[in-house]
Amino acid sequence: MLDKLKKVKEALQNEIEAAATLKDAEQLKIKYLGRKGAINDLMKLIPTLPAEQRATFGQQINSFKIDITDIINEAFKKLSSESIPKVKKEIFDVTLPGKRPFIGKMHPVTRTIEDIKEVFARLGFDVAYGPEVELEYYNFEALNIPPDHPSRTDFDTFYIKNDILLRSQTSTVQIRIMENQKPPIRIIAPGRVYRPDTVDARHSFMFHQVEGLLVDEGVSFSDLKGVLNQFIKTYFGKDVQMRFRPSFFPFTEPSAEVDISCSICSGKGCSVCSYSGWVEILGAGMVNPNVFKSVHYDPEKYTGFAFGMGVERIAMLKHGIDDIRLFYENNIHFLSQF
Amino acid sequence: MKISYNWLKEYVYFYLSPQELADKLTNVGLVVADVKTVEDDFCLDVEVTSNRPDCLGIIGIAREVAAAVGGSLHFPEKNFLSSNTEITKYINITVEEPVLCPHYTARVVRHITVEPSPEWIQKRLRCVGIRPVNNIVDITNYVMMETGQPLHTFDLDKLLDQKIIVRRARSGEEIVAINGARRVLFHDMLVIADGKRPIAIAGIMGGKETEISESTRNVLLECAQFEPRQVRRTSKAVGIASDSSYRFERGTDPEGVDYASQKAVGLVKDCAGGEIASGGIDIRSQRYEREKVTLRMERVHKILGLEIKRDVVSDILKKLQFNVINEVDNYIDVEIPSFRGDVYREIDLIEEVARMYGYNNIPVKTSISVRGSAKSKEEIVEGYIRQFLIGLGFYEVKTFGIVDTSSLQRVNLWSDKEGIDIANPLRQDESRLRTCLLPSLINTKRYNINHGTEQLKIFEIAKVYLAGDKMPQEKTCLSLIADTDFYTVKGIVESLLLNLGILSKCEWTIFNESRLFSNEKATKIQMDRVTLGCLGEASKELGFKTSTSLLELDMDFLVEKSCFTKKYQTLSLYPSVLRDLAIIVDEEVTWADIEKCIASVKISFLKEINFFDIYRGKQIPAEKKSMAFNLCFQAQDRTLKNEEVDIAQQTILDNLCETLGAELRK
Repeated sequence: MLDKLKKVKEALQNEIEAAATLKDAEQLKIKYLGRKGAINDLMKLIPTLPAEQRATFGQQINSFKIDITDIINEAFKKLSSESIPKVKKEIFDVTLPGKRPFIGKMHPVTRTIEDIKEVFARLGFDVAYGPEVELEYYNFEALNIPPDHPSRTDFDTFYIKNDILLRSQTSTVQIRIMENQKPPIRIIAPGRVYRPDTVDARHSFMFHQVEGLLVDEGVSFSDLKGVLNQFIKTYFGKDVQMRFRPSFFPFTEPSAEVDISCSICSGKGCSVCSYSGWVEILGAGMVNPNVFKSVHYDPEKYTGFAFGMGVERIAMLKHGIDDIRLFYENNIHFLSQF
Repeated sequence: MKISYNWLKEYVYFYLSPQELADKLTNVGLVVADVKTVEDDFCLDVEVTSNRPDCLGIIGIAREVAAAVGGSLHFPEKNFLSSNTEITKYINITVEEPVLCPHYTARVVRHITVEPSPEWIQKRLRCVGIRPVNNIVDITNYVMMETGQPLHTFDLDKLLDQKIIVRRARSGEEIVAINGARRVLFHDMLVIADGKRPIAIAGIMGGKETEISESTRNVLLECAQFEPRQVRRTSKAVGIASDSSYRFERGTDPEGVDYASQKAVGLVKDCAGGEIASGGIDIRSQRYEREKVTLRMERVHKILGLEIKRDVVSDILKKLQFNVINEVDNYIDVEIPSFRGDVYREIDLIEEVARMYGYNNIPVKTSISVRGSAKSKEEIVEGYIRQFLIGLGFYEVKTFGIVDTSSLQRVNLWSDKEGIDIANPLRQDESRLRTCLLPSLINTKRYNINHGTEQLKIFEIAKVYLAGDKMPQEKTCLSLIADTDFYTVKGIVESLLLNLGILSKCEWTIFNESRLFSNEKATKIQMDRVTLGCLGEASKELGFKTSTSLLELDMDFLVEKSCFTKKYQTLSLYPSVLRDLAIIVDEEVTWADIEKCIASVKISFLKEINFFDIYRGKQIPAEKKSMAFNLCFQAQDRTLKNEEVDIAQQTILDNLCETLGAELRK
């Protein structure tokens, strides 16, 4: 029986070599593997064999069938690659863009406030809020800005009526917090403020500030410098330098303007810093004893510092934005950049 | 204030270039905004803060420079010869309001010649940005720029009755100021009058009728002190501000009047000739007493966090012309010079010490204590919502709280009352505090459409301002616009409310009370009978070409009701069984009816009901609809048998048929 198998195989090999086209190979496939093919003919012989040989022969035919199939498939492969005009294989292009989900963006002013909040939160500052429509008292008198005082010139204000106005600074929140809490106090207060400034690239009648206040026993100007130094190095980068200049705010004494070395020109001088190498980023100082008096804190016992910064200004510096109006036009091509 | 570099050098020795000087001044708090070359001089533009009127004169700046660089001060002489005729022969002066005018002086110079002032005066005035007029006017400006003390000259011959009266204006009195402005005066204003009429608004501006002209022969030089708040109020009321009012409202040196007066008459005689009447009129309501302040060294240390020796402190104060009366142990008693009205407390002296010691020399300390700080609920909810919406493709926008009064902005979702108006708006048509965020978002969408972006999802979290009793109510709202249909935005809101733990408490009702929303597809969301917000497709009136949906929610209420504490439900170990069901019901039957009806059957192992399709059309009778949903059954304690699920499903179906007239769609 084995001889029979061998002969069939030899015959096939000869015929395969002779096969020149796919069609020839197809016919061979039918001839050997088809329903009426050589293999099936061999299968039909099994029942004629003595019982003890049937199993062995069956196995032999099966492995023989696998060999034949391989030979024929090999031929197919060979012939198809020769006869069919070559179709270029698809090439996987990793550089094609992926299917990006569409994600929105946080407004750059919010982003900036969140970043500032984050830094101060890690220094133990809580976030506090206050009303935007305020009593004149909180915007002025309690902050040591009496009526008819020339410092009011710096705080032009929208009025609703008599003693009600739109707050022109977030320092109002200082008073509201201190009225309701005893020291120690450590807060920052972000929010909108309004000033009747004519709108141009640098001015907007509405903008955002972040106010900070820390009151406790034994707080000094030196601590103020320490905290702001931490903030500046964390927020703007550890190589950024800080400079304090004496200034005047009615609610702090001593008062300071704080500059940082210009990040655009690294302090060499450029148009952003008016060729001074420094840009002003916030106002700060020790809480004026008069402010403590208006909230009934004992200025002999408690000392504290306060600071305030313009959010848009910081965002403009950080991102190199040259026109404040862009923040409120809300052009998607602007918003999508941050 | 603009100062001349050369002029300054006359009063203080220093060896600094204009730029070095600018840096020095900036470091002690006098920011130099600009240094310009003017002819053979330099002009420094110094920003003087409102608490330092003493620096509104070059002598004041010289004091600062002397203190900062250690150079010595020397002020010019002010000697002059006067004639034998007493001033009282020419003028009679009365001060009726000693509180508003604590000090009034006058001098008279006769037989002068009004002509252009000498070149050296003109040059200095040009350098500091003042236009030369004639010798008399120029001299008053020159002395003001030098001392910070404003002066005024009257044409003596034009004063009626040879009188000057410092009095309140009579209501209705008029004056034409030197700048040509005619003003009606009121009783609360202080004027300088002659025998008949006001000849100057005190401290603000002189009158046209008595001003110096080319024909003036005899002049009266006024040098006085006026109460600052009075000057400021009047200046605002009459709408006239001048170099003079600018200085008076900040406060002038109570001991500086005489020096300025003498300096000025001396210059008049030098430049315009004539003879100075003997003596001067000097009316002072009370003697000025210099303030005395005690500085405690431990307080310096406490405020500044700086260890500094007493002699260093007293040296700084002396350089600033403070009079150190006494130095013992840990105290320094200081007499404050009259020109430093801003210094009257210990803290003010501490600032002076810090300023001159150098803010940048104070140590940077980082010894504040550790303190925990957690986010407040409103921050958590707001932060969550922001991230949620951004993840869904929404851009956050920020729009103004002050809006116009157009009909779009008059839409009001939160109150029946009109919005609150600003008394002094920048522009008449932008005068209202908004009562709703959506109109601003609609405008933002329109802006973007005009700039080429049609497809847009935006949101804003901000306040609206609703009229209240005294103070308005400020409500934080969340508002959004998306280029989608109603159910997409509803789905977003449901997801949001689900995650905030309040979806199950919300009720959705048809809403057709606002012009912003379509009448068909809009809903009001309520919770505990309070409106949480409104959601719907945009009204056709708004003119959007593609399907657009709007939402506005009350964030304060949302924050209040939000609940992040979630309780764990044990996971079932047994498989769930899903059954799809489609029923045909009348158009009027809502999904809520169906849900309620199913829930009323109370099958303990019914876990979820999920709607998936609604169909109207072929095979469904008119005015009916097919609602398809699946029921998810799962027990906590066993594998459900098919038979019991069958029974449950049939019970549900029977109940739907009975209560809602539903029939199973085959």
